[in-house]
Amino acid sequence: MTVTQAPQVLPAPVSPRRNFWRGVARVLRRKPSRMAGVAIVGLFAFLGVAGPLLYPNPLPRDDNALYAAPSWAHPFGTDFEGTDVLALVVTGTRYVLLAGLATAVITVALGTTIGLLAGFHRGRWDTVLMRLTDLQLTIPGLPLLLVLSTVWKFTSPIEMGVVLGVLGWGGIARAVRSQTLSLRERGFIEAARGLGLPTRHIIGRELLPSMAPYIAMNMLIAVTGAIYAQVGLFFLGVLPFDANNWGVMLNLAVFGGGALTSAAALPYLLAPLLAILLLTLGIVLVVDAMDEIFNPRLREE
Amino acid sequence: MITGTGITKTYKQRGHILGGRDVQALRGVDFDVKKGGAVTFIGESGCGKTTLGRIVAGLETCDSGEIVIDGTPMSGLRHRQRQAHFRRIQLIHQDPYSALNPTRTIYQTLHAPLALRARQTGRSKAWAEERARELLTLVGIDPGYVLPRYPHQLSGGMRQRVVIARALTVDPEMLVADESVSMIDVSLRLGILALLKDLRERLGVSVLFITHDIATARYIGEDGELYVIYRGQVVERGPTETVISAPVHPYTQALLSAIPVLRGVERPGAERVEPTEALDERHVDTGCLFARRCPFRTDECEAERPSLGNGGGTPQEHACFHPRPRSVIPVEACA
Amino acid sequence: MTESFAPGVRVRDLTVVYKTPAGELPALAGVGLTLAPGTITGIVGESGSGKSTLALSLLNAVQPPGRIKEGSVEIDGLGDVVKLDGEDLRQVRGRKVGYVFQAAQNSLNPLKTVGKQLLDLGRSHDVADLQALVRDARELLGRMGLDGARVLDSHQHELSGGMRQRVGIMLALVLNAHLVVLDEPTTALDMITQATILRIVRDVHHERGLTTLIITHDMGVAAEVTDSLAVMYGGRVVEHGPTTEVLGAPQHPYTQGLIRAIPRLSGDIDEARALPGRPPTLGTMPREGCVFRERCPLRMDVCDTVDPAPVTRGERTVACHAVGHQVSPPRRKEYA
Repeated sequence: MTVTQAPQVLPAPVSPRRNFWRGVARVLRRKPSRMAGVAIVGLFAFLGVAGPLLYPNPLPRDDNALYAAPSWAHPFGTDFEGTDVLALVVTGTRYVLLAGLATAVITVALGTTIGLLAGFHRGRWDTVLMRLTDLQLTIPGLPLLLVLSTVWKFTSPIEMGVVLGVLGWGGIARAVRSQTLSLRERGFIEAARGLGLPTRHIIGRELLPSMAPYIAMNMLIAVTGAIYAQVGLFFLGVLPFDANNWGVMLNLAVFGGGALTSAAALPYLLAPLLAILLLTLGIVLVVDAMDEIFNPRLREE
Repeated sequence: MITGTGITKTYKQRGHILGGRDVQALRGVDFDVKKGGAVTFIGESGCGKTTLGRIVAGLETCDSGEIVIDGTPMSGLRHRQRQAHFRRIQLIHQDPYSALNPTRTIYQTLHAPLALRARQTGRSKAWAEERARELLTLVGIDPGYVLPRYPHQLSGGMRQRVVIARALTVDPEMLVADESVSMIDVSLRLGILALLKDLRERLGVSVLFITHDIATARYIGEDGELYVIYRGQVVERGPTETVISAPVHPYTQALLSAIPVLRGVERPGAERVEPTEALDERHVDTGCLFARRCPFRTDECEAERPSLGNGGGTPQEHACFHPRPRSVIPVEACA
Repeated sequence: MTESFAPGVRVRDLTVVYKTPAGELPALAGVGLTLAPGTITGIVGESGSGKSTLALSLLNAVQPPGRIKEGSVEIDGLGDVVKLDGEDLRQVRGRKVGYVFQAAQNSLNPLKTVGKQLLDLGRSHDVADLQALVRDARELLGRMGLDGARVLDSHQHELSGGMRQRVGIMLALVLNAHLVVLDEPTTALDMITQATILRIVRDVHHERGLTTLIITHDMGVAAEVTDSLAVMYGGRVVEHGPTTEVLGAPQHPYTQGLIRAIPRLSGDIDEARALPGRPPTLGTMPREGCVFRERCPLRMDVCDTVDPAPVTRGERTVACHAVGHQVSPPRRKEYA
């Protein structure tokens, strides 16, 4: 052979998986904002898992301190029953997060699968799946939810998530399809087909990873979207009040406590709002890192 | 190994402002690549050489015509069987940057087809690993260095070698190299060409080389055949050395004349041919396709289209009514 | 046409650095190059050799993260371009120095006709007589074998690659620039079109009395049209001299290797040899010593530590420690 080029340094053999997580850590450390985002998301995840265990169930009431002002004992004051607002926010995290996650998983799973299949197979598959997508996109989400809520009480966050998910996968499906259409013309996909690799491999191992940053980003954004949607529904009061829920809190603060007109219930209103904002902020800060995490080039540099 | 007869391909141009004219990419092309042989298609961009290469590699189908691989006509076969036949012919893409999946390491890229073969043939996993290393060594790169790396960490030349190694995982009998060195640094090109030449000599792999650079065709196989393609038609075809040193079709002569002369080392050929420019050629439907640009055209050329043959007793086949060899290529100055 | 005035250009100790996470790395390291008035000079180099950066430096147009760290670019009648800025610099670009971008593919606005872009160019340079400008443009296009009126009425997508390239040349020359820089003028063009463009470049150069610089990776392109040839490697000019001499008797081992690595139509094809190794990138460029030593067949101890300075003998300049010691440049053997 004429040309042999081999720098002498051999990299230490590291399993690809461990390598990946190291890369992720490196990417996150690159900007302090990302670490902050991870910390925020981590905090809420912890609250979602352990929050209800931190407080007795049901939460204690203090009849002498209705709408109490913030103090050391009650950093965000108390509600109309004298329950600590912070405790309500903390115990309410689980429902919100679970519903958000369920929505995101369903949106992304449905959207990605349908988009990939439509884009990769084209032809008749494409036509059928895309008409289905268009159909989904034309369903008016909010009115349908209002109607649904009259017959269905959404006591479980998963149910909530499923409904929101089924109503929200269309956008991702379209986006993934167009990505797939452009990727399938690339040399490496053509080569994989030429080598006789099975479709399963081509879609799962070649196409999907190239779209990972895109999908991950959509997933995180879907979480925030789902949080807004469900909090909104509870706030409107179309769903029952039986859960410790940020949306329910907002509703009670505004319509029960008159938070918009009197200062007493203001902390009660602000606490869940702050929680929503903080969680969204955390997610947005993490989204910023997705491109670098899933693109080996950006990850390694 | 593979022969084609009367291959045609037309692309429909939909929704174009100037009206949807169909583009005839190939107008009845015959070709024949022998086992272990070297064939080169040359021509300008848009002449149909890439389309033909893709048809040969089974990545596209032709509108009419027949392709026969080792005596088996492809037209009667079902999709799956046809794919199996075409697997023995692997395409090396022009662009080594998009030909490798950026999210997968070289190890993953090579391992997938090898693991599949190991499963199909009942070989062990260790065989696949071993084979990946063997192939990389064969294409001239150090497996220890490239295996754990991602494509972006390799130079263009190395990537192209990896692409060749990947094609070799299925033990192909033929490689179709479509402008495989045009995106690689000048000083590294010859290394890739040498590799293709070497694979041909050592493994007996046939090579179909598609290029606009005639000199590289010469390097790949002096004993090979050269096809000169103009607007979807083969206009000259014969042994590489013959076509280069004594071209008879004016288009071939024009192409060869256009090759820059390395002044100081070479001087220009005596009878360089300068064609008139191709400004708008779409409307020629009768006569020789090259007639409007040809400095030697006669009325006959505009009335009737010449077909490929040995008219005038030339050693190579050509599609010209007035074949005459001209010395157009540069000659060495320091003789 | 106005009186002919072909400027000379002197680049001295030009260092251009690019900011990277690993610090500022030199894309050009102390480059010196002289373009004699009225000549066509070619700069040949591979990717990462710094040839495009050098071309941009002539216009003082190096974009961040790059910057000209030191050195000067003296153009006759303009002074040191590196010191110019703002309005002065803008006037120089276009009026005095014409720049033809790579195959002119991306330098035309797809939404405007060529004529509109010509007028924009005229207005931005305060041309008083726009009609004369259009007349000149038509004449130039006609000179290059095109129907001027039709081309000026066309959009970019209606023109072929070769036509666009000619439009690029027209736009670079129409304001009477006498120094023209062509960056990869024939990349992405077909062989026959390439030959036509090169012929046009040569003819126009002589007719208008220009100083022309051609940047290319293709030795053949440079060989075909240039009077003098500079070979760049790793941010340095390693060899410079009259084209026929540099090609016929290359002195720097890189030039020799590069010429040998080109498959040709004449001679014994089996003598073509690949150059081992690969060209350096910004990140892999050695900090000290000769940048070519890793691939060099004539490597000596001194090459590891000392960057060879360019040495000029007569018309030729070479930067190599081994050149004095060398017996004779390897030539291709005769071919019957």
